[in-house]
Amino acid sequence: MSLTDRILQSMDQLPPFPMVIQRAIQLIEDPRSSAQSLVDVIQFDPGITANILKLCNSAYFGLRKPVSSLREAVVMVGFDQLMEIVLSQESATFLQEPCKGYDLGQTDLWKHSVACALLSRIISKRLNRGVALTLFTAALLHDIGKMMLGQFVQDYFGQIRGLIGEKPLSFNEAEKKILGIDHAELGGRVAEKWKFPRSIILAIRYHHTPSQVSEDRDVVEMVALCDVVAMLTGIGGGADGLTYHGNGEVMKRHHLNEKDVEQFIVKLGDQFQLVDETLKSERGGEGKSWLTMS
Amino acid sequence: MGKIIVGIADMKVSDDPDATLITYSLGSCIGVSIYDPTVRVGGILHFMLPESKIDPQKALKNPWMFADSGIPLFFKEAYRLGAEKVRLTVKVVGGAQILDDSNFFNIGKRNYMALRKIFWANNILIRAEEIGGSVNRTLSLELSTGKVIVKTSGDGVREI
Repeated sequence: MSLTDRILQSMDQLPPFPMVIQRAIQLIEDPRSSAQSLVDVIQFDPGITANILKLCNSAYFGLRKPVSSLREAVVMVGFDQLMEIVLSQESATFLQEPCKGYDLGQTDLWKHSVACALLSRIISKRLNRGVALTLFTAALLHDIGKMMLGQFVQDYFGQIRGLIGEKPLSFNEAEKKILGIDHAELGGRVAEKWKFPRSIILAIRYHHTPSQVSEDRDVVEMVALCDVVAMLTGIGGGADGLTYHGNGEVMKRHHLNEKDVEQFIVKLGDQFQLVDETLKSERGGEGKSWLTMS
Repeated sequence: MGKIIVGIADMKVSDDPDATLITYSLGSCIGVSIYDPTVRVGGILHFMLPESKIDPQKALKNPWMFADSGIPLFFKEAYRLGAEKVRLTVKVVGGAQILDDSNFFNIGKRNYMALRKIFWANNILIRAEEIGGSVNRTLSLELSTGKVIVKTSGDGVREI
């Protein structure tokens, strides 16, 4: 069996994707869904419910009367923000794993993923767009392929690194040459297997090569841009470092310049400090209150 | 031995001889380590961007985010603990770049240029540096010895 076949076969051993995220993604795609439908999904998960109530009763919201039920909470924070909280918290259950090969510690991949998701909101705002939950989800999940490819990257790290040293190849290009598949493509296949919506599959699959895709280009390009900006900050970065192409054409198409990149980093730096403090003080505690920043 | 973590857009100085200062996640950001061996006072600054004019309000709230607002204040904090400029050993790490960088993303390079400009105007010499490339780095400073260690992600550890 070839190495690439072995990598693809490893997908069979994947744990099932968290049910709450699957249902949440379906709701995002369904125009008829309401805050009540989200409540229906999460009300049986005591962990999420407790965190949401804790968050709504935190100093940030400064409510005069504490909320005691999900129904009240949804009125206070609204559907979009509640969805972002649910997605970010639930994704931690599988992204908070050390990732061999990429030299990522316990929380690194989750931190990088959350940085991308926060950036999707920051950049959307700069482009005068509304909240885009599909984009937020795609940004949050864009690197899931690394979870599966990490073991193989570790085994062949010397060869991958050697190739990058020889030619100016990006890390994903070197992965493709040595392993026959890169983390973006593998992530896309996993997303297909988990039956994600098409735009999210494409964003995961092409987040390093956005010019190769023609449909749903906007989501793909935005995720590619968020990833590059997050990489610059180094947040949750690993052994692949910054060895990726910048895809400057995305910046041109949206009439963005280097000052915009600096603004994005200022805003991210601000919001991310809260993430870091939350993680340091009490992992999973305080309902990850940084999500309430806008 | 106490580990003091310096966050992103953050600074810490200390005169605790048992402490080690450490900052993670240096991509295009730059970590500056300063150390006075006589009084064993040292510090690390982790700044993200070259110039505070992009957001002066932010610089008032958090000067450590920018080279121009952070570096002078950082040195002053070390002087307050008894460090003296003539005795300081200064080492800098970070400023990485993505590949085939169009000017959109060359923050690492601009961070380094801003730092050099400030150091030059203030007669500060860099004793050692590990700048550029496309790697993530972690920087630590041991206050009992002044030893500065750089860990390059996926590539091991070395003293500079």
